Amino acid sequence: MSNPIRIPAPSAVTIGRARYLLIQCIVSLSLLFNFGSALAQEPAPDFEEAAGIVMELHGVLGEIMKNADALGYPGRFQLIDPVVRQRFDTPLIVKVILSRHWNGLNDAEKTEFIQVFHQLSAATYAARFDSFSGQEFVETGREQLKAGRLLIKTELRRPDEPPVKLDYLMHQNEQGEWRIISVIANGVNDLSLKRAEYAAVIKDRGFPGLLEDIRRKIQDMESGKES
Amino acid sequence: MEVNRVHGSISTLVLIALLAAAAGCAGPQSKSDANPDPLEPANRAFYGLNEGLDRGLVKPVAEVYEKITPRFARTAVTNFFDNLFYLNVIVNSFLQGKSDQGVSDTVRFVVNSTLGIGGLFDVASGMGLPLHNEDFGQTLATWGFNPGPYVYLPIKGPNSGRDLPDMLTSALLNPLTYISGGILLPIQALRVISLRANLLDETRIRDEAAVDPYSFTREAYLQRREYLIYDGNPPSEGYEDIFDEDPDSESELKIE
Repeated sequence: MSNPIRIPAPSAVTIGRARYLLIQCIVSLSLLFNFGSALAQEPAPDFEEAAGIVMELHGVLGEIMKNADALGYPGRFQLIDPVVRQRFDTPLIVKVILSRHWNGLNDAEKTEFIQVFHQLSAATYAARFDSFSGQEFVETGREQLKAGRLLIKTELRRPDEPPVKLDYLMHQNEQGEWRIISVIANGVNDLSLKRAEYAAVIKDRGFPGLLEDIRRKIQDMESGKES
Repeated sequence: MEVNRVHGSISTLVLIALLAAAAGCAGPQSKSDANPDPLEPANRAFYGLNEGLDRGLVKPVAEVYEKITPRFARTAVTNFFDNLFYLNVIVNSFLQGKSDQGVSDTVRFVVNSTLGIGGLFDVASGMGLPLHNEDFGQTLATWGFNPGPYVYLPIKGPNSGRDLPDMLTSALLNPLTYISGGILLPIQALRVISLRANLLDETRIRDEAAVDPYSFTREAYLQRREYLIYDGNPPSEGYEDIFDEDPDSESELKIE
């Protein structure tokens, strides 16, 4: 006669163990699921390409600073203009700066404003980076932000003076190319400044008044005049 | 003795509550889309007044001061005033719960006041005791108070409502408040000139770039304050806000 299989009555210990195993199962499954979804996620962003664009900009700025006098304003503008044109997403930048006023413009006005804003950005670099006294640009960090944006953190180090923190916010355009969309200097975002200023000028004198003011700024920078 | 101490603590709390109420910013900090500049007409009027005074008197004097004074002497003057007003930094470091920084700031003050000959030389920075930037406005921010409206004051310039109580605390902790006599005027004048000379580069950039200097100054001031509140490391997410406010922000135009 075979021995009957004895099934032990469930005790508090076995119930506790079963619950423990169940929890382990859930944890393992959830880990597996997360791992699977991690594999399914998009590949890590190409920090190198984005950082390379900032380095390219800094390289040209270093060049125009070191040869500032020899180049003069026109030479400095000529060197920095193509970098600004190619490496900044100006159409997006001006749309954000003009905010609700952007939709009120017709296509011709939008195109004109993008061109003028290009000129202003290049002129500002050409006017501001007009001398060299041992400054150097150093990358200090990289950060992935939401919506696929990247932040490239840098410093402009200057002898005998505290460094200026320059953070570059970057995104990929429709062609998948990395473009600079915002520059933040010591925590001050140029886009926010311009948005507040331009809104005030538009309110006062309309879009033509804003274009006129920006064009005058560009002329002042060309002639080295503070207004 | 104990009663006096309790009475003192209550007085301090009452003072802080009054200061906070004066700032018009009582209540927890929250993100708000409210107009940050409801006082704009008055602010612009005072801005015009200050600009006139600056262009007509303060800036030209500061430019001459910068031209004729050697750099080391200007640095010594800046160091002297930084040190003289450093009690406000020390107290606010502690009020923000940064006790290590508070201790470092206290030692810095003692070292620079003695070895640095009354603060003329910044010996402490070389000893690993760096200069910090703290004030009661930053303290109120770390305690969770809203910035309140932007307020542009005659002479003083830009402030947020939250920064106004600092005028009182910094005055109470300023040794010059407790001295009088003929020496006070030249010291205060030198302080203003030194302060303005140190800002010549910043205002040159503003004059070069700004199409509306008033708005430029306001935005730069408010952003700079945020930067200081976070001790130079504001959360990066804030950089993206401007892009996320408009959900339809993808550009349709291309550059030729």
